[in-house]
Amino acid sequence: MTLDAIAERVRRGERLTPEDGIVLFHHPDPVAVGQLANEVRERLHADRTYFNRNMRVEVTNVCVASCLFCSFAKLEEGAPGAHTMTLEEAWRELEIRMDDPPGEIHIVNGLHPGLDFSYYEELLSGFKRIKPDVHLKCFTAVEIHFFACHYGMSYEQVLRRLLAAGLDSLPGGGAEIFHPEVRSRIAHDKATADEYLEVHRVAHGLGMRTNATMLYGHIETFEHRVDHLMRLRALQDETGGLQAFIPLAFHPDGNGMRNLPPPTAIDALRTTAVSRLLLDNVPHVKAYWVSMTPEVAQIALRFGADDIDGTIVHETIYRSAGSRSPGALSTAQLVRLIQEAGRVPVERDTFYRTICEHPRAAVPEAAVKVRDRKSRKHLEVLS
Amino acid sequence: MNESSRLRAAAVGYLNARPLCEGLEREPASSRMLIDYGVPSEIARRVSEDEADFALMPVAAAATIGDLRMVRGCAIGARGAVRSISIVGERPIEMLDEIAIDLSSRTSVVLARLVLRARSKGREPKLVGLPPREAVSQVGGGRGALVIGDPALEVEGRFSHHLDLGEAWLEWTGLPFVFATWCGRKGVLSREDERILERAKLAGLDRRDALADEHAARTGLCAASLRQYLHGAIRYDFGDAERRGLERFYDEAARAHLLPPARVRFFDEDGPAQVPSSSIDTLLSRAAEGERLSAAEGERLSVEAALFDLGLAADAVRRRKHPEDVVTYIVDRNVNYTNVCTTSCRFCAFYRPVGHPEAWVLSRAALAKKLTEVVEAGGVQILLQGGLHPELRIEWYEDLFRWIKREFRLGLHALSPEEILHIGRLEGLSAGQVLERLHRAGLDSVPGGGAEILVDRVRRKIAKAKCTSEQWLGVMRTAHHMGLRSSATMMYGTVDTGRDRILHLVKIRDLQDETHGFTAFFCWDFQHERGTRIEPGETGTVLYLRQQAIARILLDNVEHVGASWVTQGPDVGQVALRFGADDFGSVMFEENVVSSAGTTFCMNAEAMERRIHAAGFKAARRNVHYDWLTAPA
Repeated sequence: MTLDAIAERVRRGERLTPEDGIVLFHHPDPVAVGQLANEVRERLHADRTYFNRNMRVEVTNVCVASCLFCSFAKLEEGAPGAHTMTLEEAWRELEIRMDDPPGEIHIVNGLHPGLDFSYYEELLSGFKRIKPDVHLKCFTAVEIHFFACHYGMSYEQVLRRLLAAGLDSLPGGGAEIFHPEVRSRIAHDKATADEYLEVHRVAHGLGMRTNATMLYGHIETFEHRVDHLMRLRALQDETGGLQAFIPLAFHPDGNGMRNLPPPTAIDALRTTAVSRLLLDNVPHVKAYWVSMTPEVAQIALRFGADDIDGTIVHETIYRSAGSRSPGALSTAQLVRLIQEAGRVPVERDTFYRTICEHPRAAVPEAAVKVRDRKSRKHLEVLS
Repeated sequence: MNESSRLRAAAVGYLNARPLCEGLEREPASSRMLIDYGVPSEIARRVSEDEADFALMPVAAAATIGDLRMVRGCAIGARGAVRSISIVGERPIEMLDEIAIDLSSRTSVVLARLVLRARSKGREPKLVGLPPREAVSQVGGGRGALVIGDPALEVEGRFSHHLDLGEAWLEWTGLPFVFATWCGRKGVLSREDERILERAKLAGLDRRDALADEHAARTGLCAASLRQYLHGAIRYDFGDAERRGLERFYDEAARAHLLPPARVRFFDEDGPAQVPSSSIDTLLSRAAEGERLSAAEGERLSVEAALFDLGLAADAVRRRKHPEDVVTYIVDRNVNYTNVCTTSCRFCAFYRPVGHPEAWVLSRAALAKKLTEVVEAGGVQILLQGGLHPELRIEWYEDLFRWIKREFRLGLHALSPEEILHIGRLEGLSAGQVLERLHRAGLDSVPGGGAEILVDRVRRKIAKAKCTSEQWLGVMRTAHHMGLRSSATMMYGTVDTGRDRILHLVKIRDLQDETHGFTAFFCWDFQHERGTRIEPGETGTVLYLRQQAIARILLDNVEHVGASWVTQGPDVGQVALRFGADDFGSVMFEENVVSSAGTTFCMNAEAMERRIHAAGFKAARRNVHYDWLTAPA
């Protein structure tokens, strides 16, 4: 199957096969693959490019899982660097930002064995007390699965209790690579692929929206990536509850795969493009700037992505794995990033409803530089 | 009518142009038009940079700028022998091995190439660039010369063989030839303005004898011969026959890839002066097929073409030039010998004034340590640049160069044109003399830094104390004529516009046509940070990719285009390899100028190769001439 033949079928609106996915991953010209993904992206969203005002909170890095790719988790409470926020500390993250509050709080944690379930319920209800209309996108499917096992509940019971406490949607983290050949080696002691997908299925059944991710660029093959995307496509055919897919680039610093080089920008762009082409039933594909760097994320907005994520404010998971991206971007910076890429910035809420549409840049595909050069104090030696 | 509302005209001051121009210096024309004279390259520049509204321009320059209108009825042309453009030699022209040629006269050079090609049946002499009078002095044996203007009239009858290019053109095509004509952007001249030019011409034609006599008195040429030249050889009409002649010339030149395709369009006509009336797709596929684009076409691409289309076209050009899919890089080191500089460029955070507490000049010991590291890392050269230090004399550089060559045997890619000019000013030497001395001391090649944007309006705003674009190009021309190779660069993203960036590229392309001395082109955007004193203009990752792709598309005569990962970061640098670049620049030990503006990346050979491979290419180490030092892998 040639790229031209695949392009023909994409233009006719036909669904691509797993074999097509492999061809796209191996095609010698990543720019041509990107162009095809861009066609689809523009058919779906024209020049509209989404971002939101969100805030990351990671309340604990204590974790019973021992994922090979993780530089964030510290296995036990009391281990050096292990930290669990008190509820007050967590809430304070929002309180101090109430003069310019985020629209969404995105919480992802380690799998802490020593907290009561009520900690999480209070965490959510506390945030809603401070800002009743804040959207709580909290706990990955892996955490929901852990809660169910640890506290002896079904997925549905866990989700219903968290919904009652204020939960609004689930983030997509924890998917890593579904295929057991990879998952058993890099994430053997947490939710399996089926369990991850089942949590999302149950959540969708309760009317919730969720995102999904894929951690690529470590020991997996292109076949594993395509398999991963196919499993998500099948779930989406069933439920329609996925809003966005977020390819996440593996970062090697300080984790069990530190000897591996990280995926290069070309791989990041190609993976974005192939995801857009294979996931024909998922509305949005994200160029997560924390994972990609803002510069590559800009290019990804022309390789199939229509969303650049949000302001983030305080992210520690990628930071601990050596991400060179700045810690936060302001709304104005995000707008300029998108304008520089020649797109129309649209501030959205978590459900992709438009909050504010910004103008296109006066000069096509060019504007003022956004890079936070001042933050790069030290000479970095890149591997 | 006041000064500022007069139309600005530019023209060459040659004798054959006088009949068209002279009348503009007098009333009534002079109250409408202000004429100024210059050499051919200069008057074309004025129109393309909007410093003149219209100009009496050589037709090759008009095609290069692209989309210009012409004035009906006025031209400098010939139907048959023109006398002032000839190839001379001591054996039949078809038997010459080499022709010395003044390469700055592009219309004549293109005409000569076409005529030689049409007559030679496959055996073409080699063209060698030389200053005009020197060219004549070297005629003999297998070497001939293309002589233009007064020198051509001077040598009439001196050599045993002689080919008049006007005559040769008529013989070949049956058509008249047009050398120059009044050109300007669409709409700048009204019907009334055209009538003023027509009336000036008629007045000028009546004064031909007087003009010939004046010129004879000034030059010592024979007055009767000059009268015949203005009356008989040169023709000033521009009608249907001349139009067909010029369009034939444009067609032949485009087919030979010597000029961008062009059509004749008069001011009173509609339709674009480009061939074919190009859609963006046509422009891109023409570029991908290796055709030359005009400045106007480049400008259209930079505004209208989508990022991907530019990238794919640039990648196609790259593949055509380098079908082996190899991306090169070099192991070298950027060494700055001093941070003292007198130019105070507003975009620079690196320099310190003389006497500043943070000013330094590298000691031999510090330098030795750096160079030893380069040698130990398998490095093959250093890129040595400084500021403009007002106290370092040429002997200091000569000693330094000899010492580096003696002790380290590294290639010396050193001193940008600005530094060459600076040393020349300090020593009272010409750029050529400075280069000669430094070359003898060990200089191997000249880095293309300091070009910024080769449009003087921009240079005056961001780097007032720096040389003009013509001076920068002049140093490179001199270096290339000496056999030194150089790179070419562009730093954009301050006050420059899209058009300025295109003009920059076209100036590099024009000089490259003349010298073929540029090895590679690199561009990057202004790095805004603490210490710089100018706001960023048009910058950003996507613009970088577009800009690099456009450079690859327009610079059809430059072999290599490099990705500037030092400024854009290794990630964007890698992506740029898919937007027309075939070189990944240097492994980086250190770099001070850009990093003092905040951009700090480092990459070793292994990391570079990994990125090259992941982009789908083989990697090879290179030297400054882009020879492979390792087998591509």
